[in-house]
Amino acid sequence: MAEDLVLDTAIRDWVLIPLSVVMVLIGILRYFVSKLMRSSQTPDAKIVKEGQIVVRARNLRAAANFIPAKSFRSRRAYYSNEENGLLHVPKGQAQNPQAQMFSDPNMAMDMMKKNLSMIIPQTLTFAWVNFFFSGFVAAKIPFPLTQRFRSMLQNGIDLSSVDVSYVSSRSWYFLNLFGLRGLFSLILGEENATDDTQRMMQMSGFGMDPSKSLGAEKDSLDILQHEWALPKFEQRAEAVLRKLIK
Amino acid sequence: MVGASEEVELNRLENQVDNGGGGVWEYLCLVRKLKVRRSDKVLKHGLSILNDSKKRSKLGGEEWTLYEQVAVAAIDCQCLDVAKDCIKALQKQFPESRRVGRLEGMLLEAKGLWADAEKAYSSLLEDNPLDQVIHKRKISMAKAQGNVSAAIEGLNKYLDIYMADHDAWRELAEIYVSLQLYRQAAFCYEELILSQPTVPLHHLAYADVLYTLGGVENLQIAKKYYAATIDLTGGKNTRALYGICLCTIALGQLTKGRNKEDKESSELHSLAATALGKDYKYRAPDKVSLLTATLGNLKLS
Repeated sequence: MAEDLVLDTAIRDWVLIPLSVVMVLIGILRYFVSKLMRSSQTPDAKIVKEGQIVVRARNLRAAANFIPAKSFRSRRAYYSNEENGLLHVPKGQAQNPQAQMFSDPNMAMDMMKKNLSMIIPQTLTFAWVNFFFSGFVAAKIPFPLTQRFRSMLQNGIDLSSVDVSYVSSRSWYFLNLFGLRGLFSLILGEENATDDTQRMMQMSGFGMDPSKSLGAEKDSLDILQHEWALPKFEQRAEAVLRKLIK
Repeated sequence: MVGASEEVELNRLENQVDNGGGGVWEYLCLVRKLKVRRSDKVLKHGLSILNDSKKRSKLGGEEWTLYEQVAVAAIDCQCLDVAKDCIKALQKQFPESRRVGRLEGMLLEAKGLWADAEKAYSSLLEDNPLDQVIHKRKISMAKAQGNVSAAIEGLNKYLDIYMADHDAWRELAEIYVSLQLYRQAAFCYEELILSQPTVPLHHLAYADVLYTLGGVENLQIAKKYYAATIDLTGGKNTRALYGICLCTIALGQLTKGRNKEDKESSELHSLAATALGKDYKYRAPDKVSLLTATLGNLKLS
């Protein structure tokens, strides 16, 4: 119903392509900057130990039936007794990650560095795009879309009469921001392509609490029923040997 | 652990490389990946690449990995000059690296300069107190010097933090066995069974230790673990078959007079004996007479 808009080729040459190129260049630049700022953090002995305890307790839980009952009981007591068991976390000592973050300036510093390398270039480019390219209809996608996509594709243009398949310059910026991951992984190597969406996920997953996994492991160990599997093996061995002799 | 198919591949490549058929780099990569110890071959073929600047530059960044591999192999073969050259080249490239520092420590070890090596490792540990490899090197150094108690102490300290490291548990178990501290060894083998319940060798070693400890209860448990070994290996393990026989005999001696459990166990014992006989006939026919004599003796005594 709406008649086609004719886009000036100058828009393509001076808005669409420069915007994409700049986004790519900024992505690469940011990769190198964050590589420079990355500090190799040395893990804390306590955290390493907790991880190892969890692994060992999990092994015990999985293969408990392979060791004699006496050995199992002594191990369980060693892990989960209330005084000094390995898995027992004294109340109050289980600090939440937020408090831990504040007590450890290094961690906060790390987060800040990550944030700096992410937020500052983003704000700057957004301001830049807003200043120079606001209000352009920069491109047209070759298929029709429903009205719901208007806010996604025509950010910055408040005209309801324009067909939704036209993309505004600001939306083109957003599309580039989130859509260039494949290109980065091509340029920078597979594992180096950390785009913003992924980083945000990492941030939200930050608050993992090791003491919680210790407690969970302790609980599941406490309710475990030990049933020695070895007596069965004697019969199985007999069967194996019978087969072998035949 | 090297799987059967990987070993076949490795031997095939080694054969090919030995006969000058190319594929040297692939062979070296496989050796590195499987962590097998073929130092003489690695030294010979690795050097042939390193001495050829054209081949070397073709590797790109992998060149340094090769330098490290050859250095370790050379240390193992006591070609200390080669090792020194490799380490020097690495040090030029990575002046501050801890990994190169470790190689230097190993070179000092190979020269027998224990005190210097100890010092080198300690300074490396100051940088990064959680470096597992250096902890292990220190322990193996103590063992190499014959200072077994220090090795045990080091291993215990190491396992206090890295308690999921089953190789360390195995090392500790073997040291305990060598010192005849069987109870401690049994604990370590239990730990190994827990972390790798399908490896028959751990079951077998645990059974050996229990058998050595003796006593009715331990013998009964040992027999069960020999049975587990038989089950896991499909009856191919001669040691486990012998173990069953010996356990049954020992149990029979101990419980003489109150033979209530004899009935159910005798079958496994005779089956194991038959399986042994069959195996000997197949693989070492000239020793069958020895076997029958031994088994006969066991029954008599």
